Amino acid sequence: MNIDWLDAFLISGLFQVAMVTGLALLLHLQLGLARIANFGVVGFWGIGMYVFGVLYVKVDWPFGDPWQFLASAAIATFVAGVAGLLIGWLISDLNTDGVLVGTLGFATAVQILATTEDDFTGGALGMGGLDFPFDIGRVKDNEFLWLVIMVAVVAAILLYVWRVHRSPYGRLLIAVGGNEPLVRSLGKSTFRAKLWLFVVGSAGMGLLGAMNGVMVHYLDVGNVGVGVTLAAMVGLVLGGTARVWGGVVGVILTVGLFDIVVQSYLPLPEEWYSQAIPVLREAAFGLTLMLVLLFRPLGLLGDMRRDKLMGRIHGR
Amino acid sequence: MSDPAAPVSLQVEGLRSGYHGVTVLKGLDFAVGDEIFAVLGANGAGKSTLLATLARLIPLMAGAIRFQGEDVSRLPPYETAGRGVGYVPQEKGTFPDLTVLENLRIGGMIGRRSRDDRMAEVFELFPDLRALQAQPAGTLSGGESRMVACGRALMQDPKVLLLDEPTAGLSPLYVDMFFEKIREIHETRGVAIVLAEQNATKTLQVADRVMVLSLGEAFAVMDAAELTTQQLKEGYRI
Repeated sequence: MNIDWLDAFLISGLFQVAMVTGLALLLHLQLGLARIANFGVVGFWGIGMYVFGVLYVKVDWPFGDPWQFLASAAIATFVAGVAGLLIGWLISDLNTDGVLVGTLGFATAVQILATTEDDFTGGALGMGGLDFPFDIGRVKDNEFLWLVIMVAVVAAILLYVWRVHRSPYGRLLIAVGGNEPLVRSLGKSTFRAKLWLFVVGSAGMGLLGAMNGVMVHYLDVGNVGVGVTLAAMVGLVLGGTARVWGGVVGVILTVGLFDIVVQSYLPLPEEWYSQAIPVLREAAFGLTLMLVLLFRPLGLLGDMRRDKLMGRIHGR
Repeated sequence: MSDPAAPVSLQVEGLRSGYHGVTVLKGLDFAVGDEIFAVLGANGAGKSTLLATLARLIPLMAGAIRFQGEDVSRLPPYETAGRGVGYVPQEKGTFPDLTVLENLRIGGMIGRRSRDDRMAEVFELFPDLRALQAQPAGTLSGGESRMVACGRALMQDPKVLLLDEPTAGLSPLYVDMFFEKIREIHETRGVAIVLAEQNATKTLQVADRVMVLSLGEAFAVMDAAELTTQQLKEGYRI
């Protein structure tokens, strides 16, 4: 397959779009269905990325790639899931404000740990040595294959989200988001449902973080800032938190537009790329969030269309 | 665990409960058997607090609740529901983002009987819901919402149903229909009912026994047929 028309910048941009789409889809289950405002996305993502990096680079495994790679990725995903279990347990009975502060605090703690535990993480200097579990030739070919794998992972997440929407578990999550005390009076433990939601979501976010670490080859504490959460959150809110495709449409219109179209095709001054672009990106995303909440709070795709969905299921 | 075949028995002893340290119910003692037990009282008397406490959504400050002989005072709400206590709140009794059918299915998450059989029974009781199955509950009228909430609670196969002002704010046509349905649910399904209401006239027509609540205290607990207008007025502090 000839991929000469793709430059490295475009592959990297498409990878970011796919990865943030995956995060937005997982966030959709928490925020869109169960109305849990998880502002700690980057914390779980960062745990996956750093645990993978430390295990892959610093542990002397008795076997080489691809088993070393797969074992590191599996453990990183598991650890992120366990972190989700712990955070989910701590915030399960908190109100919206408590969840927001709690998850934000968790993400901050992860960033501080990544900075201070420099024996493991490399601290502020960062850590290199992460690489693909394959080598098919040129750097561009390897990166393109990794992009394809990321798209496949995100497609699997989309399928999972799609199935949750149609399952009794999905109905339970929507019910929890709509009226949690009422669900408790119906004979179901909302605590267990929310905990499972956090475990699966956090594990998925951790896996995406590990995959990002492989793509960038270098772990930098600057990457585990609020920007990752903001990108997933803004994309989801713009597309529509309650719709399966909301995250996909929203992230393409935000991350896709900014990271690919604006940065690749607009004639921006050279010196902007080091300092001004990241600041501009966060400002643009913040402004988008405000405008959407003011003028189209349900997002571009709007509210759930469960009447049509159920009509199709029941042949009406 | 209680015996599923045992007759309904809900006993309340010295019940005190409220919100954020403020006592609303100030020591209630009563028992509910296989009957329609009405709870009457003015606004603020504590009717809704009583039903939410019985459903275990509000913690007890003191006293005990026994269901089928088992102390359920410290059980979480979902375990109390699993024992056979169904609850229909006065407001927000449905999940607005879910369709009518999904609301009913949520109610049917517990219980041993076939869910299809239970669904058919709900549609038989409330035939209007059949045509509304695919409609989101958030788009329903007040009367339709109450039917969904009531049907959803019946999907749990409850032994006792706690109904919090099911006719509040409804048109007279719906009010008459609901009182007929309450009697029907009790007589044909053997479900004991605790009915909190302000509509004393209609309530006393269907209830077997009544408790008049006055500022969180039981002013009177007696056979519904024996309650006098004077007692009712005193209980309502008119």
